[in-house]
Amino acid sequence: MEASGMGGEGGCGKWGYIWAMWTTVFLHMVAILFFTAGFLLTRTELPHHSHCSDVSHSPCFSPLNNNGSCWTKPATNRLVLIVLDALRIDFVAPSTFFPESKPWMDKLPVLKNAASSRPLSARIFKAIADPPTTSLQRLKGLTTGGLPTFVDVGNSFGAPAIVEDNFIYQLVQNGKKVVMMGDDTWTQLFPHHFQTSYPYPSFNVKDLHTVDNGCIEHLLPSLYKEDWDLLIAHFLGVDHAGHIFGVDSTPMIEKLEQYNTILERVIEVLENQSGPGSSHENTLLVVMGDHGQTLNGDHGGGSAEEVETALFAMSFKKPHSSVPPEFDSSSCQLDLDGKNVCVSTMQQLDFAATVSALLGIPFPYGSIGHINPELYALGADSWNLDASQKLSESDIWMQNYVNALCINSWQVKRYVDAYSASSAVGFSHDDLSRIAGVYTQAENHWSHSTKKLLLDRQNDSDILVPALKRQIDAYFKFLTIVSELARSKWTEFDLNMMGTGIGIMLISLIFQVFTILRANKKHAVMLSSSEDSWIITGSIFTIFLLGIRACSFLSNSYILEEGKVANFLLSTSGIVTLRQSVIQGKLLIESIGFLILSTFCRFAIEVGLSKQAATSAFMKDYTSWIINIASGLSVWDYAAEVVPMVVLILLAAWLYRVTSGSFFNWPWKYVILGTILCYVLIIVHWISDSDRFGGPLMPQSIGKTYIPRIIYAISLGQLLLLAFGQVFKSNSLDCKTILVAKTTAVLSAWSSTVILLSGKQGSIVAFASIVGGYFIMKFVNIEDGKVGSCRSFSIMQWSLFATCLFFCSGHWCAFDGLRYGAAFIGFEEFVLVRQAILLAIDTFGFSIILPVFGLPLLVATKYQADVGKHFIFTQLSKMYTTYGLITAITTTFTILCVTIHRRHLMVWGLFAPKFVFDVFNLILTDVLICLASIYYFDQGKEVPELK
Amino acid sequence: MDRGKSHRETTASIASTAEPSPISAAEAFLVNALCVLALAFAFWVSNVIYSINLVTHPSLTLFFISITELPIVILLYSRYRQNGIRCTYLQAVGRGVLGVPVGALLNFLGAVALGAPVTIQYLPKTVNWALMMSVFTTVPASCVLGSSWADWRRIFAQTKPNGSIEYLICLPAHGAVIGAWFGAWPMPLDWERPWQEWPISVSYGTIAGYLVAMVASLGFVLARGRSQHIKRE
Repeated sequence: MEASGMGGEGGCGKWGYIWAMWTTVFLHMVAILFFTAGFLLTRTELPHHSHCSDVSHSPCFSPLNNNGSCWTKPATNRLVLIVLDALRIDFVAPSTFFPESKPWMDKLPVLKNAASSRPLSARIFKAIADPPTTSLQRLKGLTTGGLPTFVDVGNSFGAPAIVEDNFIYQLVQNGKKVVMMGDDTWTQLFPHHFQTSYPYPSFNVKDLHTVDNGCIEHLLPSLYKEDWDLLIAHFLGVDHAGHIFGVDSTPMIEKLEQYNTILERVIEVLENQSGPGSSHENTLLVVMGDHGQTLNGDHGGGSAEEVETALFAMSFKKPHSSVPPEFDSSSCQLDLDGKNVCVSTMQQLDFAATVSALLGIPFPYGSIGHINPELYALGADSWNLDASQKLSESDIWMQNYVNALCINSWQVKRYVDAYSASSAVGFSHDDLSRIAGVYTQAENHWSHSTKKLLLDRQNDSDILVPALKRQIDAYFKFLTIVSELARSKWTEFDLNMMGTGIGIMLISLIFQVFTILRANKKHAVMLSSSEDSWIITGSIFTIFLLGIRACSFLSNSYILEEGKVANFLLSTSGIVTLRQSVIQGKLLIESIGFLILSTFCRFAIEVGLSKQAATSAFMKDYTSWIINIASGLSVWDYAAEVVPMVVLILLAAWLYRVTSGSFFNWPWKYVILGTILCYVLIIVHWISDSDRFGGPLMPQSIGKTYIPRIIYAISLGQLLLLAFGQVFKSNSLDCKTILVAKTTAVLSAWSSTVILLSGKQGSIVAFASIVGGYFIMKFVNIEDGKVGSCRSFSIMQWSLFATCLFFCSGHWCAFDGLRYGAAFIGFEEFVLVRQAILLAIDTFGFSIILPVFGLPLLVATKYQADVGKHFIFTQLSKMYTTYGLITAITTTFTILCVTIHRRHLMVWGLFAPKFVFDVFNLILTDVLICLASIYYFDQGKEVPELK
Repeated sequence: MDRGKSHRETTASIASTAEPSPISAAEAFLVNALCVLALAFAFWVSNVIYSINLVTHPSLTLFFISITELPIVILLYSRYRQNGIRCTYLQAVGRGVLGVPVGALLNFLGAVALGAPVTIQYLPKTVNWALMMSVFTTVPASCVLGSSWADWRRIFAQTKPNGSIEYLICLPAHGAVIGAWFGAWPMPLDWERPWQEWPISVSYGTIAGYLVAMVASLGFVLARGRSQHIKRE
């Protein structure tokens, strides 16, 4: 037990203990920066919108003088947009286009027949979507004309509403009316845009009919009405049928047949009213999928089946012109009935620009698509009013098209410039100059030759047409370069960066293991040679549990049920401890108590997980499980309000008892008294907040805003006092006592804020964590008499318990698991940094902040007061390194998992949020470990304390 | 899944020092074979005669397995009771019967701590599973060891069986528990197979672990017999 032998090592002082931790933080940060840069595709949302008047800045012809139209001459007045979710291309295109005929093909003959019988006014497109192919991201992409990524950094704090410019917004802005029916994702994205909407819930995948029947009910009557310019009907049946039964199934075929009937009727109604002067004289019908699906009904990734969807467009005017063959991408085949059907190809990215051009509204500001010539041609004939020239229809169409493309290119260039100017991670300089070069070239051609040719009406088509074609090619070149660049920037993972990140992460793990081994070696002298079997068993169990936990992250199912898995492992560790305590014949009560506690945790986690399934109570202040339980009886209601307060009073009383202990002198004593004051304030806050007791006591505003602020201020003050209090400390006490006092003080200083933010469940979870921590502390001593025996098992237990607390306090690893309400306790208005800090404290308070700062208790309770400071500090630093290693290993597995599953269906829904949470978890743990080590390892001179 | 069968008021009897009734390798084989046969018989009868199985009727099948296995286990293991002189065969049988509810309760609590569902719908399944577990774990031990806390502790906490019969108690019990623990692993996976429901996969795990450990215990008994043989020579 002699520490004097180690005294010589103390020369390097405090930094000798903690340099390894700082190195680890640095390595982890670098690794994660690299990996994130390659994996998390990020894009900044620009808040700008296009305006009608903007077009005068462009070099193109502006049709402003032209009877109120905006950027381009409108080609259609009204648009019927029928979205069939997860529409595969082989549902629409004839089966002869595919190597084999399958049962689900040729089930929508109405579209095929229209395209074959009227090739000039109806067309089938193979529309290529950009991943992520999930409905929300796709709708966003379709309406904004951009490439939504996983992280669209913007002003929306949690709510999915689109803040970027989009054609729905432009329609509304230009006085058009939009009607929506079907999938309620639209109303989430566009909460205030619709004139009328008939949303139906989309989350119940097993329900094939509610949304579709709702659509059918409203669709046909709406077609007869005149009060809309854009009608959106979003059918979900095919998507749901795919998810549940797969593509090759009877429900899927029934759904397709049902759609066929509906589409027949829609076309019939539109056709009947398409005569001159009728309401649908100038209407365009678009039937499209938002993405495809695999044969199992999955979508989200970037495989061909998922990104290839269909788009069918039909205009009801008398057809006039055909597209010049240079711009015709269609391939034609005979179908089973021997009719010729053509299928063209387009990018979904181009949809927003094309629709805007057809409707004559400004293009969305962030659209990077180009106007698709074939789709644009469907609205061709309405420009022929001034056909006094000697040009053919096709030439006039081309004139219009070239002008529209001119506007299009100018708008895309404007967006690229604005994006690079405002985004932190814009395009590289080389790319920008390349884009600028191509654009200047195209624009020079426009201003110096094409524009003059167009103005001079006497030109022959022989001169004009080649010039126009060259111009169109120049614009195409520019627009293609931009969209390719944007795709590589926003939809493709950078595997080199990801690999580098993983490599650095592995190096950091090796470094940590090395640090622990070195610390062990240093103490080989002190370890009593009688290695007990429990040390070995404990280490094996630690590695085993850690291995299982880490490997469980490789499967999406286990990530989804992570709370239960963590609790399963916690209980297992509890059973192992119980077994050990039976062997030793002591601490029986504690180990049984620990099992009971983990059982309670388990129920709390289950309540939390059931909430995850239905995320309706989203922005609610206290979405805690207490309220969930208490929603029934009024007695329960009452108990739910009173019990947390009673528990908090218990905590305060316990803290008071602790302070009365003799070894607490001034800085710590006052800190703890401050915490007790905070607890009282929290109770007052709760009382004034509740409907039952509140009101008469004090004005709501004081309780709601000032009390929380006072508590934050006190906590901050306490932490500052603790940080600087060390300087004035009298060194009369022994190292171990000081360590206990410091730990208690810092925990109590944090606890009031954490409890306040967690809401009413906070006090109960805090109580549970104290009890659990106490038990684990006791278990460290299960093997008596052995200084420096292996504590890795206890640390693992500590870490598992922390994970369980994360789930117990009503969180889970997804962005809707964040309790945004907590960020606004005490504050009304939104300030990004402040609210983010509060949210982080709420989310990780119980699972990181308190466990990391509480870790020294495991060391302090183990030893007698006389083992010497250096020894304790070495143990403590080893312990922190072990704890950091456990977190780092689980995070490494999460990183490996997202790398393996980067093309998985759930990568954006499940793996990426888990990745973000884990990475945040790791960095926060590392940083807190560093702060804690600065705080705990004081620089006082090593006093060799000999026994 | 409670390995420490705690909380039994015990008078830490010195009886544990007494050598347990000897059991030859052939007898051990017979005991194991009969237990396995009873298990197979239970499966066969439930499948063929009642046409139920674990997937379609988990509680009924589990119950049927328990009541088929229980008498055989009690009757067989009571023959090898400790302190054969002071304790009659009937007493040993009585101890075995008493061991059923106690073991079931411990297993039930263990399962709940590890996350077994507790809603009304699942309660019969959990209870029947716990009964089966108790037949595999505590019943043989309570027949042979009675209420000797020291022996229980030695076998279940320290895993230091002493003598052939204790191998026959210790290993299958541990096998059943560990098998059940691993049997819980497929449950969260999204394969949507009917056998992933509680407690079907866990029961399969239990039975698999039990069978494997039976074979292992037989191996231990054989090895032990040989080494003793050598020693005696």
